[in-house]
Amino acid sequence: MKQHDIKMMTPTTIGLIVVMAAGAFVAVYRLFRGLGAATNLNNLWPWGFWIGMDVLGGVAMAAGGFVIAGAVYILNWKKYKPIVRPAILNAFFGYVLAATAIFFDLGQSFRIWHPVVMWQVNSIMFIVAIHVVLYTTTLGAESSPMLFERLRMMGAYRFMNAIMVPIVLFGVLLSTLHQSSLGAVYLIIPSKLSPLWYSSKLPYLFLVSAVFMGLSMVSFETILSSRLFNHPLPVDILRGLARGSLIVAGFYFILKVWDLVAGPGIGAAFAGSFTSNMYLLEMVIGVMLPLVLLAMPKYRTGINSIFSVNLLVIVGVLINRMNVGIFGLAEYASRFGVDYFPSLMELILTAAFIAFAFFGFKVSAKYLNLFPETEH
Amino acid sequence: MKKVEHSMEEETICGFSRRDFLKFCSTMAVGMGLPLGTGAKIAEAVTTQKRPPVLWLSAQECTGCTETLLRTNHPTLDKLILELISLEYHETLLVGAGKQAEQWREKSMKEYKGKYILVVDGSIPVKDNGIYCKIAGKTALSLLGEMAQDAAAVIAIGSCASWGGIPSADPNPTGASPAHEVLKSKGIKTPVVNIPGCPPNPYNFLSTVLYFLTFKKLPELDDQARPKFAYGRIIHENCERRPHFDAGRFAIQFGDDGHRKGYCLYKLGCKGPETFNNCPIQLFNDVGSGAWPVGTGHPCFGCSEKGVGFTLPLHSPARPKYITPPSLFTEVFPHKEGVSSGTKALAAGVSGAAIGAAAAALVSGLGKKDGDSGNKEE
Amino acid sequence: MSMNRRDFLKAAAVGGGAILASQAVSAGASMPRELPPEAVGILYDATLCIGCKSCMVNCKIQNSVPGGALYLPDRKGLPYDFSSPDNIWDDARDLSSKTVNIIKVCKNGTGEHKDETENGFSLVKQHCMHCISPACVSVCPVSALRKDPKNGVVYYVEDRCIGCRYCMLACPFRIPRYEYESASPRVRKCQLCRHRYDEGKYSACCEYCPTGASIFGKVTDLRKEAAKRLTLKPGEEYSFPVQTVGSKEKSRRLVSKYINHLYGMKEAGGTQYLLLAGVPFEMLGFDKNISEQVLPDLTWAYISKIPAVIATVLIGGAATWAVTRGRNKDKEE
Repeated sequence: MKQHDIKMMTPTTIGLIVVMAAGAFVAVYRLFRGLGAATNLNNLWPWGFWIGMDVLGGVAMAAGGFVIAGAVYILNWKKYKPIVRPAILNAFFGYVLAATAIFFDLGQSFRIWHPVVMWQVNSIMFIVAIHVVLYTTTLGAESSPMLFERLRMMGAYRFMNAIMVPIVLFGVLLSTLHQSSLGAVYLIIPSKLSPLWYSSKLPYLFLVSAVFMGLSMVSFETILSSRLFNHPLPVDILRGLARGSLIVAGFYFILKVWDLVAGPGIGAAFAGSFTSNMYLLEMVIGVMLPLVLLAMPKYRTGINSIFSVNLLVIVGVLINRMNVGIFGLAEYASRFGVDYFPSLMELILTAAFIAFAFFGFKVSAKYLNLFPETEH
Repeated sequence: MKKVEHSMEEETICGFSRRDFLKFCSTMAVGMGLPLGTGAKIAEAVTTQKRPPVLWLSAQECTGCTETLLRTNHPTLDKLILELISLEYHETLLVGAGKQAEQWREKSMKEYKGKYILVVDGSIPVKDNGIYCKIAGKTALSLLGEMAQDAAAVIAIGSCASWGGIPSADPNPTGASPAHEVLKSKGIKTPVVNIPGCPPNPYNFLSTVLYFLTFKKLPELDDQARPKFAYGRIIHENCERRPHFDAGRFAIQFGDDGHRKGYCLYKLGCKGPETFNNCPIQLFNDVGSGAWPVGTGHPCFGCSEKGVGFTLPLHSPARPKYITPPSLFTEVFPHKEGVSSGTKALAAGVSGAAIGAAAAALVSGLGKKDGDSGNKEE
Repeated sequence: MSMNRRDFLKAAAVGGGAILASQAVSAGASMPRELPPEAVGILYDATLCIGCKSCMVNCKIQNSVPGGALYLPDRKGLPYDFSSPDNIWDDARDLSSKTVNIIKVCKNGTGEHKDETENGFSLVKQHCMHCISPACVSVCPVSALRKDPKNGVVYYVEDRCIGCRYCMLACPFRIPRYEYESASPRVRKCQLCRHRYDEGKYSACCEYCPTGASIFGKVTDLRKEAAKRLTLKPGEEYSFPVQTVGSKEKSRRLVSKYINHLYGMKEAGGTQYLLLAGVPFEMLGFDKNISEQVLPDLTWAYISKIPAVIATVLIGGAATWAVTRGRNKDKEE
């Protein structure tokens, strides 16, 4: 098997391990010394980089899992079967990391299980917490056949495959709710979040942008892993994903513009202020450029250009999440004289999460049968 | 003496006019925080009872405490020792000397056994059996035990007698100890009142004596056996410069603008925030307002407070005991417009990374044709 | 589609089955919209406030006892807020984990005249508003923040809190503060001195206010008192009650000019802390974007749709699967 030829001890891997070690130090330090010692969070910035980037961004990045799983198992587009395993594994990593980030962001980390037993149905945070738990479990179940296969537990493997459709359906449901509920988290702060992002449609915007991001993410990592691990590119699949991206991009663009017009008005985006510039950055990189490029067949079909567009979308949606989670609140907090710039430890832990995702994916690629359909 | 006592019953009391005397008694009562009517009670006690016998034992001291007593104006010293109390023994003020003095001391102790007040000033050296301070061949250590045994109460006047004072300052070569510790080690249970200060305010001493005389008990004491009427609050709380402290107006150096304007002396090392005493209320020497260290522009150095005076550096900042808000207010909107710098920097960093990544993606991705990078198609 | 809470819970119970403990349901089911029957609160009249900070001092003292909002079992002394380098003042610059009540000032122009907008200044007392429909209570995933169903006090149950700090994000008045300095942190906020009610006492800030700027009482009475003050003419004499709204102790003084608005009557759905002032409330740090919107309704609009989404996705997904399965098989073969 080709995948098993992946060399583990490359300089990149060592670099990843170093970053992860630094992250582990930060994690332990934060647990023992508290949030104040490890982060720059404060009373007007209760949520910072870990929530804006790691949780909101990480969960959006994981959206590829439910999109592809849904396409393959529910819509029965068997064409995409070859990428379903990496997509689900990627989502699994995304969620585990988001959950870990939440664990370290909680003031009382070891009470993270409280929401599961102390229900409070008025709270979006409760909805989010339940979904993280259930969906991470579901993703574990969806990824389990790979593990069973590796461990040669064929009975369990067959059983999991037999009940895969209901599991995937459940996963699609949870993801739909979870992606949108992350947007709904911000529904309660109409007076704080900049009107450029605050909208009653935040849940829809989050869901659609997550799908957008998910498609790009899957495409991105398929190209990347085929280059890194040196196996053939499934060009047809990538072009299909690009077509899908075009449709979602168009829809997302219309939704965004409609929201802008119905909300603060087009003019607000061109006010030249801090927030309007961040808004424009997000729109240009993450929505308009990809839309224009994808609309042109030349770029929609070329693998290199698809890769570029994927990168634009990923960066753009990440900026969107940070805009909602951080920059959209900046004018409010600044009015009361409170500043925020993530501490070195916040940055290191985030870097460690990303390193862990890469490392974990690489290990999985080596030891699990991640790309079954592309084998020859 | 008898003649004097007789005459005062007719025209004057204790050498005061009746009016002045009542005023004095009321002042004392007010100084102790007692109800106004108590003044009359004190007057009655002072006039109807035999003058209380007082024995004064000086150990390792500088005579500052006696000096402070000499400076009382209501009453003046002569009136105090001749008419208000019966000062039986005082090394500095005695007329007699040598054996005569010691004999009088022993006679008084016998005569007033269990009734006299023993005043101690100066610390008691206990090292090497107390040989560092001797009076008439006897160590202060043994004298104190002897005299305190038969006293009704012991009043330790001054910081030395109250908690050790200057003689006990590091390295304390004589083992200077306060009176109450010596009594405790000797197992003598006579009640002790501490009137610390270097020197203490004489009226705090007088008030305690009169209170004892009037009510036959000691005034309410705090955990360090200091009368609460005098040592119940820190100097900072009654200080005339307190508003400057609350408003953040400080003298930074002696003679600077703030110092001339009478600003708070905290930054010059004023120990008022951790020293219990009533200096700002009682003042000194009966010469009017401002007659106390802080009033003259010098920071309090905490002479009466154990662990502060003669212990901390003179100009080191005090460690406030009771902390309260300043009279300054936070503005509702410290910054009214715009986005603060840290968030801007974060945004700049994120935007920079994003634009960089996007540009690189566009340049490398759109410039090349497929196949150039050696992609294998399925 | 929208549904009321009872329906939602029914649907959730059907969906969630036995996991949904009945206790949890009752904890989450009620987001009040109406003033509780025995609701108590505070009326703060900025025109009476002299800025003595007695309320701040005594708030800290009275809340550092067991049951108080600032109590910490192993803390000696009071929770001082030091922000000057010498640690000589308890000088909170803002609400914090150690200060749940603060007097601030807002100045305009030269800031010479009290309670005037032009070249004036006003004092303002900031602490929890005790909203009738509190955002913080609605967003707390574990019901660590609760609203007392009788007196309406919004209080904190330390043992439940996971420290997600969503309450801090959600509160439009920036009230909840966090013990960032601690490795086992808590949320801190004013709890209207609820630990003192059993002793027959009431909020410390009101008890120790010398001028009657803060008065404690039933919200209905406070609203009446405030309405009465708004009808007074500047310059006429009025007997302002001191400490409590029904107090016999009155402070008779001249009436200042009020802005004709009782803050907290309708803002964010109404609050139990009410304010009167001589300057517009925007100047006093009350965000002008805070509308009369009942904030928990905004998220409820989303949550109430969840059962419908569940049904749609499950049924639609299953149907799609059933339909597409056959077609694709044909295609593949």
